Amino acid sequence: MSELWDVLVRHFPEFRSGFFITCQLVAISFLVAMGVGTLIGTLRASPSRVLQSVGAVYVEAFRNVPLLVLLFMAFAGLRRAGVEISPMAAGTLSLGLYTAAYIAEALRSGVFAVGKGQRDASLALGLTSRQTLAKIVMPQAFRTVIPPLGNLLIAMIKNSAIIGVSLGLADDLLKQARLINSQTFQTNEVFFWAAAGYLILTIPATFLVRFLETKLAIRR
Amino acid sequence: MGYLFDPANWEWLTAGSNLSFMFEGFLINLEIAIIAMALSLILGLGLALLRISKRTWVKVPVGLWIDAWRNLPLIFIILYFFLTLPRGIKEAYADWAPSFFPEAFQTPAILAAVIGLTLYNSAVIAEIMRAGIQSLEKGQGEAAAALGLPNAKAMRIVILPQALRRMVPATVSQLITLTKDTSLVSIIGIQELMRHSRIVTNTSGSPFTGSGVDAPLLQVFMVAGVMFIAFNFLLSRLSRRLELRERRITGVKVEPVTGLEEQVAQSSAVP
Repeated sequence: MSELWDVLVRHFPEFRSGFFITCQLVAISFLVAMGVGTLIGTLRASPSRVLQSVGAVYVEAFRNVPLLVLLFMAFAGLRRAGVEISPMAAGTLSLGLYTAAYIAEALRSGVFAVGKGQRDASLALGLTSRQTLAKIVMPQAFRTVIPPLGNLLIAMIKNSAIIGVSLGLADDLLKQARLINSQTFQTNEVFFWAAAGYLILTIPATFLVRFLETKLAIRR
Repeated sequence: MGYLFDPANWEWLTAGSNLSFMFEGFLINLEIAIIAMALSLILGLGLALLRISKRTWVKVPVGLWIDAWRNLPLIFIILYFFLTLPRGIKEAYADWAPSFFPEAFQTPAILAAVIGLTLYNSAVIAEIMRAGIQSLEKGQGEAAAALGLPNAKAMRIVILPQALRRMVPATVSQLITLTKDTSLVSIIGIQELMRHSRIVTNTSGSPFTGSGVDAPLLQVFMVAGVMFIAFNFLLSRLSRRLELRERRITGVKVEPVTGLEEQVAQSSAVP
C-alpha cells in the first residue's frame, strides 16, 4: 500500500503534467470537432443534394477509419510529403476531424428529431429555409443532442490516449505513465494512478450525461 | 492535391506484392476482431443479465466492473495487460499455440490484445444490452409472470428476443468501433495492417516487397484506411438490411436503443 502512495508522491509532477496535457488535447480537439461537425451536420441537413452527399462522404469516411490511420496520415504522412505540421496540431486535428463525423451525425439526427410540423409551420409563417433552420429547428435540436455530445466528449477523452502512445505526438497521461513505468517498473502502481486520472474525467462525465438525458428530454 | 494524386506516388500499389502484403495484414485485424466480437458478445450478455439482477450484492459490483472498464481508454487496457501478463502464462501460450496459427497469433502479445479488446467491448456491449432490456415495456415481464413463466424462462423467451432486436443497430456500431480498434494492437507489436503498411513504406525498393518504387506514407495509409472503410461500410449495410427485414416480417418499426458512446451516430444514421 505504501508503495502505491510512494509512486504517486515521487512522480506527481509527471502525472500532473500528463493529466493537463490530456485535458488540453481534449479541449482543443473538441473545439475542432464542434466546428467541423456543425459544418458537416449543416451540409447533411441542407436542401441541396450535392451538399448532402459531400457531408455523407465525409461522415462515412471519417467514421469508418481508425483514428490511428488518421494520426499516421496527419503526422508522418504529411511530414513525408513535405508539410511541416507540429505534433500537437497533427494529434488534435486528427482527433477533432475524426469526432466531427460523429458530431455531424448526432446533430443531424437531432435535426430530424424535431417534428416536421415545426418546420412546416415555420415555413408557412414565411420564414426562409435558412431562418427555419437557425431559429426554429437548431435551438430545439440542440437540446436533443446535448446527451450524445456528452457521450462523444467521453469517447474523445479515451481516444486522446492514442495520440501520445502511438506516435508520441504529445506527453499526455498515458505517455507519462509509460515513461514512469520504464523508470520504476512498478507497472501496477503507475497504471493505477493513470487509470484514476482517466476515470476522474470520464466517470463524472458519464453521470452528468445520464442526468442531462432525463433533465433535457423533450416530452412529445 | 497534386502530390496526393500524382500517378508516380501511386505506382507502389501495383508494384511487387505490396497490396497483397497489406491485405494479409488486414486479415489479421479481421481475425482478431471476430474473436474479440464473439467473446465480447457472450461476456456482454452475461454482464448485462447480472447488472439487472434484483440482488444488490450482484448488481452493484457488476455495475462498478462495467463502469470501470468502459470508462478507461482501450489502449490503456491493452498496454496494461501487455506489460503485466505473467511470464508463465506467456510461455505457456507460446508453447501451446499450434503452428497453423498465423504468425501474429503465435506471439503472447495477442493475449493482451484479445483480453483488452474483450474487457472493454464487453463492458460497452453490456451497457447496450442493459438499455435494450430495460427499454422494453414493463407489461412484457408482468404478462410473462402472470402466465406463470419463471423469471429465467420469461427472460429467455419473452424479454431477450424482443430486446435483442432493439440492440442491433447500437451493437453493430460498437462492432464497427471494435474493428477499427484492432489497429491499436500494432502498438504492442502485433503484425497487422498498421505494421504491414509501415513495412511497405519503409522497405519499398528492397527485395522484401520486390517493388523498387517509392511508397509514400500518406498514400499507403490512405489505402489502409480504405480497407477499414470498405469492411465497416459492409457491416453497417448488413445491419440496415437486418433491420428492414425485421420490419417487413413483424410489421413494426423497432425502436433502436441509443445514447451510448459513439453508437448514437450509427443507430440514427437513417432517418
